[in-house]
Amino acid sequence: VARLCVCDLLVAQCDTNCCCDPDCSAEDFSLFTTCSIPVVIGDSQLCSQKAAVYSLDVEANPPERIFKLIDQVNPSIFCIHATNYEQALYLKSPEIPTAENFDELLDKFGGATFSAEPDSWNLDPDAQNPSEANETSRYEYGVPVQTEDAFLRLPSPVVSSWCSDANPAGFLVNQATKCIRSVSVEKCDSIQALSMLFYINSSILAVPKSSQMVNITVQSIAVQSVNGMRTFLSSGEALRLPMVLDGLCINAVLGVNYHITHTDTGEIIEAVAAFVLGAISREALSIEQSFEISFTQENTQPVPLSGNPGYVVGLPVRAGFQPQGYPFPAAFLSNKHGQLTILHSTSTQDCLAAQGARAPVLFGYNMISGCKLRITAAMKCQPLAQTLLDVLKGQSFPEYVASFGNSQAQDVFDWVPITQLHISEQMISHTLQSSCQIPVSLGIEVKWTKYGSLVNPQARIVNVTATITSTTLKQLPSGRERIIPITSSVVFTDISSPAEPSYKAWPTINIKLPFDFFYPFV
Amino acid sequence: SSQLSSLPLHILLYVNGVYYIFYFLATLAMIIYKSQVFSYPDDFLAPDLAVLFLMAILEVPRLYLGFKGNLTEAEAPLGLSLGLTVGSVLLCVYLLLWQSYVLWADVLLNAVLLATYGLESGLKVTAIAAFVS
Repeated sequence: VARLCVCDLLVAQCDTNCCCDPDCSAEDFSLFTTCSIPVVIGDSQLCSQKAAVYSLDVEANPPERIFKLIDQVNPSIFCIHATNYEQALYLKSPEIPTAENFDELLDKFGGATFSAEPDSWNLDPDAQNPSEANETSRYEYGVPVQTEDAFLRLPSPVVSSWCSDANPAGFLVNQATKCIRSVSVEKCDSIQALSMLFYINSSILAVPKSSQMVNITVQSIAVQSVNGMRTFLSSGEALRLPMVLDGLCINAVLGVNYHITHTDTGEIIEAVAAFVLGAISREALSIEQSFEISFTQENTQPVPLSGNPGYVVGLPVRAGFQPQGYPFPAAFLSNKHGQLTILHSTSTQDCLAAQGARAPVLFGYNMISGCKLRITAAMKCQPLAQTLLDVLKGQSFPEYVASFGNSQAQDVFDWVPITQLHISEQMISHTLQSSCQIPVSLGIEVKWTKYGSLVNPQARIVNVTATITSTTLKQLPSGRERIIPITSSVVFTDISSPAEPSYKAWPTINIKLPFDFFYPFV
Repeated sequence: SSQLSSLPLHILLYVNGVYYIFYFLATLAMIIYKSQVFSYPDDFLAPDLAVLFLMAILEVPRLYLGFKGNLTEAEAPLGLSLGLTVGSVLLCVYLLLWQSYVLWADVLLNAVLLATYGLESGLKVTAIAAFVS
C-alpha cells in the first residue's frame, strides 16, 4: 500500500498535488496546496488493514508532506475477517485469447455492446427487428431523401471545390452548396450534370422503401446571359436541353433550387425545382454551379425558424408587431422590416451620415456598437433627439419578440412584449427639467432561461427590456462643437433557475369505504 | 445423592438448543448477505451452505440423544451424542476458518458455539463416568 499511487500519471515527472508520487522532491511538496489523494487503502470492508495516509503540513515553513502507515480498523460487525476465496477482493482477470477459445470470446465480446449477465446476450437480436420496422414508414430528420434509383443528389464540394454527385440531400436539412464543375463546349450535350434532365428524371419516394412516387416538376426557369443578367422565362414547362449554338453551350444548368413539401408525418407530397440556365463560352474550362434545397410543411408559410423549439445560438431573434389583436410576424427572410436590429457601426463612425446600416440581433451574441455624434451650436434639440432615436432604434422597432425559436404567429402567448424604459441622466448642476434631453444609448437586455428537460434544455426568451438613456444637452457657445459617443448594445442574460429533479409520484393507496358502509346507522 | 443425571448438562443442552436456532438463522442470513454484497460464485457458495445444513441435521439427534442419555442415566445415548458432537465441532471449525468469507460476526458466533460444545463435551464425559461407575 505504501508503494501504490493512483495520481502518479506522469512517468519520471512530479504530478501536481500528488503527495504519494515518488518522483516528487521536498521542494515540489512545498509547492502543493492539498493532497489530491489523502488515503491509499485496500478494500475498506476488511476488519483491519494497512492504510497509507498522506497529508500536507501547511504550518511548517516550507510546507512538507507527512506520510504515515497506519492500521485502519473497520468497526462494523460485518467486516471481513478472513477470506478463503482468493479472487474475492480483486477484479476478475480477463481470459487470455488462445486458439481454442478465440471463437467463443469473439461471440461473447465481439459486438458493439456486451452485458455482464450472460443470459441477456441472446435477447438483443430479437429486439432490433421491431424498431427497424417503425423507422421505414416515414422520413426522419437527416435521413437521405430516396429516389427510384438511389438518393436525391445535391452536388456539393467534398474535399476540394469540385462537384461531387454522391452527396444525398437529407430530409428537413435545408442546404445551399456551390461547387465547380469542369466543362468543355465540345462535350456540352454529353456531360450529364449540365442538363436539366439529370436533376429531375428520377422521382422521389414519398416514404422510404415504398412504391409511391413523387415526380419533380419544373417550377421556373431563369436564363442567365453571358454578362450575368437573368431573365425569367414565362412558365413554359418545356425542358431545355443543352446544345451548342454559335460556339457557346446554351441551356447549361448553372443552378438548381429544390423545394420539397412534406406532411407533418414525414411523407413527401410535392417536389418542385427552379433552374437557372446559362451559357458556357469556349474558353471556359469550369463553371460554378449552385444548388439549394428547402423543405416546407404543407399548409404552412415558410418562416425561417431560429430554433426548434428553443433558440439556437447565432440565429436571429424573431420579432414582430401586433396589429389589432394578433402578433404578426414581419420577419420573412427577405424583409428586413420589423426584425430586432441594432445599429451597425460603420467605418466613418458618424451617426448622421450612415443612417440605416443595421445588423440583426443574433441570439446569444452580446453586441455593442456605436457612432459619434458631432454637435454644433446650430443644431436644434428636438429634431436632433428624434434623429438620434431613429438611429438607435431603427425605422420600425418591433413590439414583440418570439419566446421560442419556432413561435407561430397565431400563438399569442408565445410572444413576449418589449418593455421600453427611459432613463435620463440629470447633470448635477442642472436641475431644470426644461433643458434638452437627447438619447445617447440604447441597451437591449434579453433575459432567457433554459426550458424543458435536463438533458436537452431549450432556450426560451422570457423578458426583453429596451432602455434608452438620455442626457441633457448643454447649449454650446456658437462656433464650438462637441463630439459625444452614441452606443447601443444587446446583452443576453441567462436567468435559468437551477434544475429541479422531479420524481415519480409515490403510488397512493386509494381506499374509500362503500357508500352504504354504515347502513343501519346512517 | 441418588440422582446421577447432571443438572448443569441438562441446562447446557437446553441453552445449546436455543442458541443453535439463533446461530443457524443468523449464519444463513449472513450467507445471503454475503452473496449479495460480495462476489460469491455458486461453486463456493454450495459447500458453505451444505456444511451449515449438515450441521443443523446433525444437531437434532445430537441434542435428543444428549437429553435422553442424561435423563435415563444411560451411557450409550450419551456416548453417541458425544460422537456426534465431534462431527459438529469439525463442521463448526470449518465455518470458523475455511468459509469463503469469514466476517467478524461469524467469528463471534462460531467461537461461542465451539465454547458451548467444549463445555458440553466435558460435562458429558463426567456424566458418563458417573453413570458407568
